[in-house]
Amino acid sequence: MNAVEVRGLSRSFGGRDILDDISFTVGHGEVFGYLGPNGAGKTTTIRILLGLLTPGAGEVRVLGRDLAADDDARAKVGVLFENNGLSDRMSATANLAYYAGLYSVDEPAERIDDLLTLVGLADRRDDLVGTYSTGMKRRLGIARAILHRPEIVFLDEPSSGLDPGAQRMVRDLIVELSRREEMTVFLNSHHLDEVQRICSSVAILAGGRIRAFDSVANLTGARDRPAVTVTLADPGDRAGASRMIEALPFVAGCDPDGEGIHCTLSDPGATPDLIAALVDAGLRIEEVRRSSRSLEEIYIEHVGSAGGGV
Amino acid sequence: MKTFSVIAGREMRLALRNRSILISAAIFAIWFPVMSAFGVAAGAGGDAATIAGGIAAITLPVGVFMGYIFCADAFLREKRDGTIETLLCTPVSLRRLWEGKAVGVAVPAYVMALISATVTIAAITAITGITVVTEPLLLLHLAAIVPVWIIASTGLIGAAQLALGMRENQILGFLLIFGFIFIILGLQEIVPGGPGVSLVTEGILAAAGIALIAFARFIAGKVTRERIVLTIP
Repeated sequence: MNAVEVRGLSRSFGGRDILDDISFTVGHGEVFGYLGPNGAGKTTTIRILLGLLTPGAGEVRVLGRDLAADDDARAKVGVLFENNGLSDRMSATANLAYYAGLYSVDEPAERIDDLLTLVGLADRRDDLVGTYSTGMKRRLGIARAILHRPEIVFLDEPSSGLDPGAQRMVRDLIVELSRREEMTVFLNSHHLDEVQRICSSVAILAGGRIRAFDSVANLTGARDRPAVTVTLADPGDRAGASRMIEALPFVAGCDPDGEGIHCTLSDPGATPDLIAALVDAGLRIEEVRRSSRSLEEIYIEHVGSAGGGV
Repeated sequence: MKTFSVIAGREMRLALRNRSILISAAIFAIWFPVMSAFGVAAGAGGDAATIAGGIAAITLPVGVFMGYIFCADAFLREKRDGTIETLLCTPVSLRRLWEGKAVGVAVPAYVMALISATVTIAAITAITGITVVTEPLLLLHLAAIVPVWIIASTGLIGAAQLALGMRENQILGFLLIFGFIFIILGLQEIVPGGPGVSLVTEGILAAAGIALIAFARFIAGKVTRERIVLTIP
């Protein structure tokens, strides 16, 4: 059984199709990235999965259950929307204690202490949340979302509106949580770099339809079409080296890219052969590093062709 | 039952921490009865029972209006801030959420209504020199009828605020509150003997209040998560 199953899901508002026959699954323990432009229907999908909206057609299951009809099943699900679900007029401890009461968390004081330490807010625990920075509120929101030890957590734009330092902190926190708490993470994000770093699989939604759904490794070609970027000690050698590399039998493509030469290999184990060929040709190598297509390129490819949102 | 007390307790604490709403409520709870006290004192002609009726007639609309004031903080604010969406994802049923909030805000509203009644009694006593605190029907009115009507108002207004968009809420909020006050005054007028505290008046008000709570519960049962989410601004 998958953690999330979406089959033939459609939904329209005012005659406008927001979601049109979408299907995807998320396995247990996965960190899943749900991507798409503004208005693509990402939040609508999450709301349907959480039982806040009804599907127009199709079927959704979270942990094998319909959250709209099953109050108890919602106890196994955590959620973080953009507003964090916190009261500015209560302290961090009081906010968490409130949700601990709603979820009937065992030994809430210990759990709250543990989470406030994890998100680095233990020393501000008694301050009103209204005095917190955006990043602190977001970290507290994440603590709130996982307070009841859910099996799956839905994070809607968790790093939205945060500065780069806070974004990194939230990203590290998500990775730490997925490992430590062994939970499935459903991540709705615009930060493609963030998704590429932490997600194991992604779905790209555009024009109300799923345009791509696969593991990050497969989508970026890292698995079946590995690529390396070669940087030469003498940039003047790049043109000649590119011509030489292109002629090698195990190279599928070669493209001088910035300071280096981006090579797509047809044989996953051919990197040592490429290095040997360059050395044999008398070229001095500064650096060779594995590379792949960025998720951003994949995203633009799919979203661009679909015309973005609906 | 545990989640009910968790929700109600939180709403009470938040209401007591909202300085602007507390100040608005306190001003109304004091200003309105003091202004009305002169009219009641003049119209009663020194009759303690008539004075008690006047106090009861003032306190009930004040209590209902207090419920309206505190509802805005519990229901409308959660919608405006979007935090209601997170609450809807908890294992708490929508009915339990509504019940906890409605009763939670009814408590500070009732406290304010009692403060208002105390001010009214003190003002009238100061003007007329007649003590009405010991009138048993007035005490029954303050102890039972006022809280029932406050819960009816917070329940009905809360359900409406959950179900409606912000603009509709602004209009309907006033309509509901004036509707409540109109019903109270109407019920007091149609009772034999006119406005005042009598067993018949209190009985009718109690029955009507309980009927309104049942109606509010029925309306709240019709509100769906989807309706709430789609009316979040």
